[in-house]
Amino acid sequence: MSLTRTRTGTLLATPAILYMLVFFIVPSLILFAYSFWSSASYRIVPDFQFNNYLGSLASPVFWKVTFNAIRIGLFTATVTLILSILVGYYLVYVSRSQTILYLILITWFSSYLVRIYAWRTLLGTNGVLNTVLLQLGVIDHPVSAFLFSPFAVTITLVHIYLPFCILLVVSSLSEIKRDLIDAARDLGTSLIGAFFKVIAPNAANGLIGAFMLTFILVAGDYVTPQMLGGSSGQTTGLLIADQFRKTGNWPLGAAQAFLMFGISIVLYAFITALGRATGLIVKRRAKTEREI
Amino acid sequence: MTNPKTIIDIRDGKKVFGSFTALTDINLSIRQGEILTLLGPSGCGKTTLMRLIAGFETLTSGTISIDGNDCAGTPPERRPVNMVFQRYALFPHLDVFENVAFGLKVKGLPRSEVKERVNRMLNIVQLDNFANRYIDEISGGQSQRVALARALVNGPKVLLLDEPLAALDLKIRQHMLAEMKRIHAETGATFVYVTHDQDEAMILSDRVVLMEKGRIVQIDRPEDMYARPKSLFAAKFLGETNLFDATVSAVNGIGTTAVTTAGTPFLGAETEDRHVSERIIVSIRPESLSFQGGEAAQSAEGTVEDVVFIGSRSFYTVRLDDQSPVRIQVQRNGHLALPSVGDRTRIYWDSANVIMLPHA
Repeated sequence: MSLTRTRTGTLLATPAILYMLVFFIVPSLILFAYSFWSSASYRIVPDFQFNNYLGSLASPVFWKVTFNAIRIGLFTATVTLILSILVGYYLVYVSRSQTILYLILITWFSSYLVRIYAWRTLLGTNGVLNTVLLQLGVIDHPVSAFLFSPFAVTITLVHIYLPFCILLVVSSLSEIKRDLIDAARDLGTSLIGAFFKVIAPNAANGLIGAFMLTFILVAGDYVTPQMLGGSSGQTTGLLIADQFRKTGNWPLGAAQAFLMFGISIVLYAFITALGRATGLIVKRRAKTEREI
Repeated sequence: MTNPKTIIDIRDGKKVFGSFTALTDINLSIRQGEILTLLGPSGCGKTTLMRLIAGFETLTSGTISIDGNDCAGTPPERRPVNMVFQRYALFPHLDVFENVAFGLKVKGLPRSEVKERVNRMLNIVQLDNFANRYIDEISGGQSQRVALARALVNGPKVLLLDEPLAALDLKIRQHMLAEMKRIHAETGATFVYVTHDQDEAMILSDRVVLMEKGRIVQIDRPEDMYARPKSLFAAKFLGETNLFDATVSAVNGIGTTAVTTAGTPFLGAETEDRHVSERIIVSIRPESLSFQGGEAAQSAEGTVEDVVFIGSRSFYTVRLDDQSPVRIQVQRNGHLALPSVGDRTRIYWDSANVIMLPHA
């Protein structure tokens, strides 16, 4: 007896589907249900009310930390994407070497926390940066502002998420043959022009995907901002985590998690619209629109 | 046309990649309006030479000038040449019209002029009705025309074509060759055409540049290159031929006589630069041999070993009495009786068709 193609396909996908169902979709739905419940003196009460959402939306603290998370996220994702495109271009079109890609990925073999502490050491008052600047005479006493600043948070987050973003960018650039870039240049564009006119439109989905995934990971990262950001380290991720860990207000945490989710979707839609408006994303006209 | 102008001039060109010398001693003048073919086996450097002209590579030493201007350091986007890529390299996110319009839009020409020039070019390549199709909605032959139009619409001083027909099947290829000639005549552009296919080179070219291992081995009109190859490589690469190791036995006013290792003498018409006991290679094309000969013809006896019919022609393999096999091509002609396998026969040739080549 032989299986048909569709049945084989379904069979192969089943473990993944089951996994996603049990460990992602069902918990998400439970969390969504929680977000309408209420909490009274550390006890969660089944309910159906919108106070968690309305309260968060009305809270200046929520907006402040959300704005902070989005700012760190957008800034870090932008820097990471630009660096990834440069490295990706080099890897795909210039060196064509797998070794360099592996070397980049090897930084992932070190623990996340180790990397954060490494940056603390580098940027601290007795750190490498201060020592070098002191020796060079650029500064006359150690600068404490390197650490516990948005700068420290960004540089660390870029370092942590760069390999991930490079991997995504490399895979989307690999789809675009070198010939297309040569053709664009042959037809009169500079290399930068070829990027915007040919590479970006053809890699738009991959590049936006890389940007958004980096953004989401960074905006949701509450460890780095907390450990390196000082007073600027308050982000939505930390706020949400605290609802679960400290205040025990799970319904409020759940609601804020879904608000953050909604904000990410709005941002994604906005960035896609921006891409369309600037011509970086080209939407194909449907066949019917083109009939003469 | 008297003394056509040189449009591209390459002097002492050399290109080295790491430890590999891709091109060396390249001296080539490309004339305005001609179809020049760079012909050679893969790895001979023909594509590198084209990419040097386009500006995608830079010479290690030597000069390239286009229309009198040395273009060292000029990036591809500022060279007055355009290229048709082997796999077309059409932009998948744009439709046919936008693909062709790409170069003109980059130059910032007014919309009306872009539209007019693109439409005129689409008309020349006969794709008027396909302007709104996307690249994955057209056939290979049509993609080829789009690639031609996209390059030619910019009015390049030289059009570079990198094995443009390699991706097409045989029937479309023959049709596109004719199309290419028509488009060349209509636009008057200079074509530099890279191919490894000798038939394409013969059909299309005004001149052929034969390349081997990074060097130019011969530049000639296709018929001259075929009739008078200057090297063993040229004789073997263009068309089919019979080759014999031979030693020169006499040089006089009539010509040069060389005796093959197996013992058959060949009298060639050439007299220059040959001396007695020089080792050479005798080449004679299958169509230069026949089963009938006049008074002046040379001849040898042998036995027919094999016959292959190809429509109007037949290919015979005859083993000469000195044991060397010879290929003969004859036109089928109802009036003449042709030998069959196993028959004893005599084959004839004229001294004008005996080509003597230096020993490789």
